[in-house]
Amino acid sequence: MTGKRSLTTYGIAFLFILALNFFLPRMMPGDPLTAIYGDEALVAMTPALKAHLVARFALDQPLWQQFTAYISTLFRGDMGWSYFYNASVLKVILGSLPWTLLVVGTSLVLATLLGIELGIESGWRRGSRTDRALLTGLMSLNGFPDFFLGLVLLIVFGVLLGVAPLSGALTPYSGLSGLALVLDVLKHMALPVAALTAAYLAGGYLLTRNTMITVLKSPFMLTARAKGLSQKTLKYRHAGRNSMLPVLTMTGIWLGRVVTGALFVELVFAYPGVGQLAYQALLARDYPVIQGVFLMVAISVLIVNFAVDLLYPKLDPRVSYAR
Amino acid sequence: MHVSLKKEIKQSHTGQAGLIILVLVIALAALAPFLSQYDPVQQSATSLLPPSISHWLGTNQVGQDIWSQLLYGARTSLMVGFGVGVLGLILGILFGVSAALIGGLYDKIVMRIVDAFIVIPMIVVVILVAAYIRPDLAVLILLLALLSWQGAARVIRAQALSLKEMGHINASRTFGASRFYLAWRHIVPDLGPILLVEFIYDVRRAVFIEAGLAFLGIGDPMLVSWGTMMHDAMKFSYLNVWQWWLVPAGVALSLTIVGLTFVSHAAESVLDPRLRGGAVA
Repeated sequence: MTGKRSLTTYGIAFLFILALNFFLPRMMPGDPLTAIYGDEALVAMTPALKAHLVARFALDQPLWQQFTAYISTLFRGDMGWSYFYNASVLKVILGSLPWTLLVVGTSLVLATLLGIELGIESGWRRGSRTDRALLTGLMSLNGFPDFFLGLVLLIVFGVLLGVAPLSGALTPYSGLSGLALVLDVLKHMALPVAALTAAYLAGGYLLTRNTMITVLKSPFMLTARAKGLSQKTLKYRHAGRNSMLPVLTMTGIWLGRVVTGALFVELVFAYPGVGQLAYQALLARDYPVIQGVFLMVAISVLIVNFAVDLLYPKLDPRVSYAR
Repeated sequence: MHVSLKKEIKQSHTGQAGLIILVLVIALAALAPFLSQYDPVQQSATSLLPPSISHWLGTNQVGQDIWSQLLYGARTSLMVGFGVGVLGLILGILFGVSAALIGGLYDKIVMRIVDAFIVIPMIVVVILVAAYIRPDLAVLILLLALLSWQGAARVIRAQALSLKEMGHINASRTFGASRFYLAWRHIVPDLGPILLVEFIYDVRRAVFIEAGLAFLGIGDPMLVSWGTMMHDAMKFSYLNVWQWWLVPAGVALSLTIVGLTFVSHAAESVLDPRLRGGAVA
């Protein structure tokens, strides 16, 4: 599966994303200005502003020139202006990006590591009670949508037990600093991270378990056993390490899921990240921000996928020989 | 490939559990008018009632019967899920088999497109599109199907390529069978288990995305949906209404997806016999 995706593939994906972002607002019925700049722009509309907005995306020109204008503004790093926030889209997004990165990064690392570890244990003792319990439990957990898991955690720990904060990423106006601030951040991110980790744990687990079962049957495991290696060495160094590779391949695809999962979970916890931003933008029909978030998420997923594709043959030399 | 799919699912405990859950959800959806006397969209002056004999799960913020919404919500989820699954599968077979049989430049172009779509995060695309056009049921199914067929096409193409070299297909070709006849009579029927796994995968994702869109409030506002129920109920999470409003909707959605996961896991062991046997669930 990996190693075969070429630059062309990513080129096509990239073009599709740009084209969607370009054509969607322009195909909408009604004034394209609203669809491109959002409802809020209309409120502030003056003839001078209107002329400026039309000129900016060359809206009085043929479609082809509009597209060129769109691409060239994008490549200058200009993602547009949000009339809702009265700030550039890039700035608005960068303001909430760190929170999302924090939550997504932590969850992705936790889910992957925990998934691999549980997968190794489960595959090693396949058919045992532990294995069956883990398999059934995690497969069930996999069915719970991330936002429902978030809501359940919020109700149990936030509302019923009252041990976790109900919303936000920081206690407002607390003026905390140093260690107290770190603890406050950790406390606020605990539930969102728990929800995301639980929702994505099963992916890595199932894949590791399946690979583990296959790897355990391969001849080199027999050799390793015959050499008299300890159980621990067999399990982690020989079988485990080989079972981790497919998980890496999937990280790119999972990143996409965890990021979109974060969109939903942030909404549940009113966590001030990109997801919350996107949700507010959806409510306010602040199209520039919606487009900006879409572009950023889609492109970062493509970049990670591409990086994994490049990295994979280095980690598993068999892939490059096979080509 | 001579492993019975039926037997495999029957032998697996989780596979059985999954089937039972799915049959239950389908039955609830089909029998909805008999199981509840209320119209799920009928509003009334009695809002936010706790559960009682007349309203099993109480009423929501505009006085709609929650039990009735739960039943009709199953219809929405199943329609979106199976609609997308079937449509996606048809497109997947069409492109996968044709790419394998025609080959050449056509094959290359189709596979490039397939690869490109596999790396694009689907939910994000759907959210963007839904932000502009609030899709109704039919448009949503169409949109999801257009974004779902690529996985199936890739697997089907690979399988069709290996089937193509088999004896009986060569024999059929020498008897003068057309490409279409070959595809329809000899290749598609042998794709059984793979198609099932891909089908369930698409169904599951579609059910999830429909609920997710409704949860974000960008679904069809006219549609009764578990996602919409959770969206509305979330605003009242400070009251105790979540017990009979939010939780049932969330559990129904989760159970449906869990049921699908269990069945597809059992079906997967047909595809990869190495995973079979033992006391594995």
